[in-house]
Amino acid sequence: MGGPVGVVFQRPGDQVVMERVEDDVAFGLERLGLAREEMLRAVPVALATVGLAGFERRRSATLSGGEQQRLALAGAIAPGAPVLVLDEPTANLDPDGARAFLERLAALRAAGTTVILVEHRVELAWALADRILVLGPDGQPVAQGTPRDVVASAGGTLVAAGIWLPPEIDSLLGVVPVVPPVGGPAGRPVVTADRVSYAYADARPAVDHVDLEVGSGERVTLVGPNGGGKSTLGRLLVGLLRPSAGQVRLGGDRPDRLAAADLARRAGYLFQDPEQQFLAGTVLDEVLLGLRRDERPRAAPLMASLGLPLDRFATRSPYDLSGGEQRRLSLACVLIRRPGLLVLDEPTYGQDRTTYRGLLGALQEHLDAGAAVLVATHDERLTRDLGGRCLRMTNGVVEAVA
Amino acid sequence: MIVAPQIGDRQLASLLGRASPLTKLAIGLAWLGLLLVAVDSRPALVLIAASTAGCLGLGGIPLRRFARAWAPFLVAALGVLVVNTILGAANLDAANPTLLRLGPLRVTGAALAVGMALGLRVLAVAAVGVAFALTTEATRLADALVQQAHLPERFAAGALAAQQAVPRLALDLATLRQARRVRGLRGDWHPRLLLSLLILAVRRAGRVALAMDARGFASGAPPSRYRIVSWGRADLVVGAAGLGALGLAALSLLISWTR
Repeated sequence: MGGPVGVVFQRPGDQVVMERVEDDVAFGLERLGLAREEMLRAVPVALATVGLAGFERRRSATLSGGEQQRLALAGAIAPGAPVLVLDEPTANLDPDGARAFLERLAALRAAGTTVILVEHRVELAWALADRILVLGPDGQPVAQGTPRDVVASAGGTLVAAGIWLPPEIDSLLGVVPVVPPVGGPAGRPVVTADRVSYAYADARPAVDHVDLEVGSGERVTLVGPNGGGKSTLGRLLVGLLRPSAGQVRLGGDRPDRLAAADLARRAGYLFQDPEQQFLAGTVLDEVLLGLRRDERPRAAPLMASLGLPLDRFATRSPYDLSGGEQRRLSLACVLIRRPGLLVLDEPTYGQDRTTYRGLLGALQEHLDAGAAVLVATHDERLTRDLGGRCLRMTNGVVEAVA
Repeated sequence: MIVAPQIGDRQLASLLGRASPLTKLAIGLAWLGLLLVAVDSRPALVLIAASTAGCLGLGGIPLRRFARAWAPFLVAALGVLVVNTILGAANLDAANPTLLRLGPLRVTGAALAVGMALGLRVLAVAAVGVAFALTTEATRLADALVQQAHLPERFAAGALAAQQAVPRLALDLATLRQARRVRGLRGDWHPRLLLSLLILAVRRAGRVALAMDARGFASGAPPSRYRIVSWGRADLVVGAAGLGALGLAALSLLISWTR
């Protein structure tokens, strides 16, 4: 690799090599042995091309996920590669960040760069494509050609395989839209936040005087840019962090003071990165971790409904699963306790149409049983399908979305 | 969320910031060498004064910033002072006059002098470290090691990548502990945390290595330089000032020895 092909991977933070933005772009140029004068010319050009002009001396750790991903793109294009390969580059980005990223790709393509984009949520990228190659589960090509040809020759196969398509293609192919879950009117309050703030060391507040109440049977979606404070607010609601100011009440108690065993029965939290929450060596041990004996029989039906049947998955390592499977396993670990409050950070990450429906079905069951569900997500489709209240969180502040 | 200590532009543009990290390293090691052989308050005081003046004058570090970085070591130094004063061997020597009595313990002036010297030595070592840390970015240190000390490129780049990974490990650990708590397990400590942390670190290192190789890191060809570290006037000034302070400290030591 290197030289003629530029590569961009999925996780923004794991592609940054150097502390400063300009040094990171120059990293690949140095390996090519370019003269310093050329590098001094090429670095600002590459940064301007991805919309990061003026970011040269910024620390890469202080960039948002979307900015880091565009920095990775700058590093990939700076050597002047005629071919770019990108592996699900927008999977971790908020919708605005993803659109900005794809706009830059479109501009590169217009300027003559060959762009090979590997993607399984193709709605946003579909319009960019000149040609589409569809691979089956075995890695064999299923269809190939212009978007029009692929829809004509393999539209049914795509739908059956659960691949997301743009809405206009869906209606062309007669795909039935997902039935949104039905939430009752909000019952008695399950969790309330009263003027809650939280600040990490030496930083402006990540959560800034937030008032929020979620009732029994209610679903609320929380949207907003990366770094807006969604994850921090979620962790405050389930007592994983202690507010710097204000108060959280979970059924009358302060959740950060509850004993762990008690907390786990009353609130569940799905972390954004599945890998950061695995604590066992096999899938079965992972889902049973911390359960009472009488709760264990729940595992088999739950795992089957989430597309992870135990007869096939029980002995596998959580780390060996695909990203989408890891997401469903971590979700099972939360749902299996049937807590009264569910706070889910990006629950649909890596899901195709089929598993997405299964996930919405599972949420419906919990809503019917009276759980309060708060979902933080970049997935605009989920926000639409889940219905209920939608809140936008920016710079630690929550406001209702009309 | 957790951000490594950041070095401001003013510190980077200062004389200490522009001097090669190797110059600072050499001076620092020379100072530490003197502190190692001298259990005496005077040279320690001279070097504390010199590094403070150097940080504020040559390093462009605001006094508050310097004090904040240095303050934790005051506690350590105080501990060293108290322990060595109370438990010092000099207290057992009947020839030494008693300074005060703490119940069964007798404290002598000689033990106090040793305790002070050891405490000040801790502060002096800390002052050297603070001066280096507040004016040196890891990238520049790695550049200097490769360009001026001719260390292998791969070693320096690997060390840099590892240094970037440390703050993320702290975040991983915090999240893993929360993951235990929300599953009803006591979150504070468990051996499994260490294993999960190791797995995360190895997997991330693999991804970073892949990203580095995708940009030609593994090609093996000698790279060109985007950032140049070269010897200059700043090295002369810092070197001369550092050696001057070292000379003064040595002189103060001689004076106390010959008295």
